Amino acid sequence: MMKIFQKTVVVISLTVSSINAFAQEDLLSLLDSVETVKTHEKVIATFKTSKVINMQSTETVKAKTMDFRVTHRFGNIGAESGGGAHTLYGFDNSTDICISFDFGITDNLTLGVGRSKQKELIDGLVKYRILSQTTDNHIPVSMAFYGDMSYNPQEGSQFYSGMAATADFKHNDIHRFAYTSQLIIARKFGSRFSMELVPTFQHRNFVLANINPENGAAESNDLFSVGGGFRLKITRRMAIIADYYYIFSKYRTNNTVSPFYNPLAIGLEIETGGHVFHLNFTNASGIIENNYIPNTTDSWLKGGYKFGFNISRVFNIGRKKH
Amino acid sequence: MKNIFLSFTAIALSTSMSAQIYMAKNCEITFFSESPLENIEAINKAAKPILNTSTGDIQTKIAMAAFVFEKPLMQEHFNENYAESEKFPSATLKGKINEVIDWTKDGEYKATVTGKLNLHGVEKDRTFDGIVTIKGSEITISTKFTIHIADHDIKVPSLYVKNIAEDVEVKLNATLEPYKKK
Repeated sequence: MMKIFQKTVVVISLTVSSINAFAQEDLLSLLDSVETVKTHEKVIATFKTSKVINMQSTETVKAKTMDFRVTHRFGNIGAESGGGAHTLYGFDNSTDICISFDFGITDNLTLGVGRSKQKELIDGLVKYRILSQTTDNHIPVSMAFYGDMSYNPQEGSQFYSGMAATADFKHNDIHRFAYTSQLIIARKFGSRFSMELVPTFQHRNFVLANINPENGAAESNDLFSVGGGFRLKITRRMAIIADYYYIFSKYRTNNTVSPFYNPLAIGLEIETGGHVFHLNFTNASGIIENNYIPNTTDSWLKGGYKFGFNISRVFNIGRKKH
Repeated sequence: MKNIFLSFTAIALSTSMSAQIYMAKNCEITFFSESPLENIEAINKAAKPILNTSTGDIQTKIAMAAFVFEKPLMQEHFNENYAESEKFPSATLKGKINEVIDWTKDGEYKATVTGKLNLHGVEKDRTFDGIVTIKGSEITISTKFTIHIADHDIKVPSLYVKNIAEDVEVKLNATLEPYKKK
């Protein structure tokens, strides 16, 4: 009898103590125990727009919005590269101007069209966000595929200029296309610093059969390069941005006859709410990848850098449902 | 025999005690900022308020990143520049219902909750007016209050004072049911 009584006391006291523990518990800690399914939250604003400066970023245009972009590069600043006081340090010239419209089909898929002053290039782009970095590092990086196809509609005499005359060579519209494929891998470290790495493959349907006299390497249709870029936030609305491409091309290495350089850009990003401005300096000779990666002939060391700006303005083109 | 009887009462007691905890099965928190240039509205369906009917304690955690805006850009700016969701991932609301409510009786009760609102890392003592509706085992709570965003150290640059209101209106509607331990 005594034993049974003891047992009962134990049962009751256990139950009571469990109730007490329950009642005294912070209600929110209860919530934490319930939320067993942890959400892998996506990291936001790795970059502020779809471009770092010259380089594409992992950012896409969100669904039902359109990104209207104006990209402008003035002339070279240094006198050695056609700048100097007589052109007001390049402000009298424009190396390239590009107006483009990028549409967010879904949050991860962007399609865009653009038109550049240089070479009259018309281009169409597709960007697909494959991965989004999460705050809990479940996915440590963001990744996007970028593809761009450009068409050069210049006069035949301009497009084929520099080509040695050959009787059996037929002009063909297909020559005028060039393609860029990139895998963009980005990571945001903390809330201020983001960087990305961009392996790039390009193919141009037509190139001049030039040869680098120093090493005998010929210009090739295919071109490999790798890009790197970063964004460093310095205030809530300003950041320092930079990007650079290293191009793997024997033809472009120490070419004394027609020198080529790796494009480098540094700039300041200012976000004003609706617009994102990039004020930058770069030696890149064009704006779209199919142009500035293979064709940059300006050198930072010879004053071949120019002032430029990118303006991005996002418009809503449909109501988002909650 | 006595033993069995006592165990039963203990179990019955414990189940009735745990039924005093109610958790939201759905909850909608909206905020609205009205300004000359644009109205900003966002909705959050991820919060799960918890109510302890025996003590009148009511608490909720609100994930800032779960606010959905009409414009994706607004959402990014909200998280990046105003709520600073990376630094302060959630707001918390912890309070106690001042009135004595008979939770077993169906009906609509006016209630006030006194407690603390922690938003953007700044805690403020607040009193909220609301309505509690009891229907069977379901409890619905609704409240409406304003937040003076400067109180919580959320700064709006002078350039945007026409876009973002100084006071935002917050509405919370939640339906709670008895919490069952899984």
